[in-house]
Amino acid sequence: MRTPVKKLVSAVATSIAVMGAGQAAAEIKIGIAGPMTGPVAQYGDMQFSGASMAIEQINANGGVMGEKLVGVEQDDVCDPKQAVTVANNMVNEGVRFVVGHLCSSSTQPASDIYEDEGILMVTPASTSPDITERGYELVFRTIGLDSMQGPVAANYLISQKPERVAVVHDKQQYGEGIATAVRDTLEEGGVEVAMFEGITAGAKDFSSLVTKLRQADVDYVYYGGYHPELGLILRQAQQADLDATFMGPEGVGNKDINTIAGDAAEGLLVTLPPSFDEKDENQELVQAFEEKGEDPSGPFVLTSYTAVQLIADGIEAAESTDPFDVAEALRAGTFQTPIGTVEYDGKGDMESFEFVVYEWHSDGSKTPVN
Amino acid sequence: MQDLLYFIQQLINGLTIGSTYALIAIGYTMVYGIIGMINFAHGEIYMIGAYTALIAITGLAALGIAWLPLILIVALVCAMIVSSSMGWAVERVAYRPVRGKHRLIPLISAIGMSIFLQNYVHLAQGSRNIGFPALIEGGFRFGAEDSFQTSISYMQVTIFVTTLVCMTILSLFISRSRIGRACRAVSQDLGMANLLGIDTNRIISATFVIGAALAAVAGLLLGMYYGSIDPLFGFIAGLKAFTAAVLGGIGSIPGAMLGGLILGVAESMTSGYLSGEYKDVVSFGLLILILLFKPTGLLGKPEVEKI
Repeated sequence: MRTPVKKLVSAVATSIAVMGAGQAAAEIKIGIAGPMTGPVAQYGDMQFSGASMAIEQINANGGVMGEKLVGVEQDDVCDPKQAVTVANNMVNEGVRFVVGHLCSSSTQPASDIYEDEGILMVTPASTSPDITERGYELVFRTIGLDSMQGPVAANYLISQKPERVAVVHDKQQYGEGIATAVRDTLEEGGVEVAMFEGITAGAKDFSSLVTKLRQADVDYVYYGGYHPELGLILRQAQQADLDATFMGPEGVGNKDINTIAGDAAEGLLVTLPPSFDEKDENQELVQAFEEKGEDPSGPFVLTSYTAVQLIADGIEAAESTDPFDVAEALRAGTFQTPIGTVEYDGKGDMESFEFVVYEWHSDGSKTPVN
Repeated sequence: MQDLLYFIQQLINGLTIGSTYALIAIGYTMVYGIIGMINFAHGEIYMIGAYTALIAITGLAALGIAWLPLILIVALVCAMIVSSSMGWAVERVAYRPVRGKHRLIPLISAIGMSIFLQNYVHLAQGSRNIGFPALIEGGFRFGAEDSFQTSISYMQVTIFVTTLVCMTILSLFISRSRIGRACRAVSQDLGMANLLGIDTNRIISATFVIGAALAAVAGLLLGMYYGSIDPLFGFIAGLKAFTAAVLGGIGSIPGAMLGGLILGVAESMTSGYLSGEYKDVVSFGLLILILLFKPTGLLGKPEVEKI
């Protein structure tokens, strides 16, 4: 009895595999890798929503070189180990272009695999400078670097003439990288950094840290990391009457910080990419998102959209779907995108990318400072 | 003076967090005391307690009830009921069928249970951090107006007092009540207790239920204290509480209390005087030292081989 069933199963499996292979010939797979679950899943939502919109619109306009784009979405949970698994899955799926990953600490190990396997990667969110420092040919981004964002934050702080500033980070590649950039710029600007300290990502109790900040009597606290921890720090600082202004990078600029911190989020300073969704030339696109019931205002929605668009433009410019040809075309060309004109330097970083200081409000809105 | 106030502040921070470690540690230590197993799903029970409390609080708020004591009591009772049933179910599903088998088997089934519960909450509640309303606000402060002040929030006082009350009730329950006496008998010798007519299955279920109920109390308190919960937060709290249980002597209830407080204070002193980066290094370093030099823990009794 058992053998016929097995045969049937394997026959079905083979035919599915053949069908799959048949389809693959007429389409270009775009891998989208980012966190669908886990503490920073809301940034992943921005990424998936932006990238899917770009794929839809490109397909509606006839695809790329007559072929349709197909999104292959995978969840890396913002976990470096899971990111490696996802990267290997992408290889097995036959994906040759990836939009992702989101967290720098995931992008870094995944990019090793993509580079080895000849897969072109465009990260719409990872800002760690290390990612493009390794001389990889196939790594690009549609976002600025911590080394640009940190100084913007630090220069703003210097302009406020604080007496003492504390810099805290979450010991992760993104948070610590940006915190280090902030500390260095502050010290160059002659501001006393009273404290430079790491916390553990995922921790809940910051009472000791808050006590220490009160003891250090600082005017400003810069936090390098993501919103779940900063939200708790803000809330616990408010309860302990810590009288200091907090500032963070775009990783904290998320409406979820309001559900955690409540009123304590009022007055938080955040460096963010400029609001691309408020630009006049993007209004048509913004409307398309709104019709789908999605919010285009997140910092990574349009950078993800742009990542897909650049891959498509690169393929057309190179007239080839070979990732190495596309990479060459991306480095050579100038592209008009929703995040502005994009030109790449030799490392895969954009020639220029702007960050703006915003003041965050307890209702989740933000206003530009100065 | 200012240094002293700072020290006191860190001590209070540590005692607060330590007493909640102790509440969770009870669950580990009681189960270990009775069946000699570590219940790795206990951290998840605590997390589910916090979620249940939040659901109850949100529900009451939706009904327009704003009287604080009522909200707290309803949330506490709901969390304790749901967590206790979870504790009971975990024992029935993951422990009873494999009891008496090789020691590793229940261990692995407990880890499986823990992964299952975590992912269940991920699916049911989403993976985002959910804000927990701060129901108890305000506090006392000491020290000069213009320098460092020691502040004790009412929430910290609530946590400390609730823990003390729970521990006292538990100690009385174990030493005075019928089930408590049976618990002690089962922990001394399960087979013999069975022969003497104690329904050991019921007693083992009872220890899981009691441990889970205390974990639910901790879930509600810590949810309010920290201000946000997520499906993974039971894991690290579970590890810490487990460390506290081992530190104090696993199987010993006063040991769990002592271990929790020591661990909490050690952590807060480390982040207060060294750096927050070394907090976990110190707590798990303590675990290693204890396991090396006094494997039975501070208040644990040396294991006597039963022949």
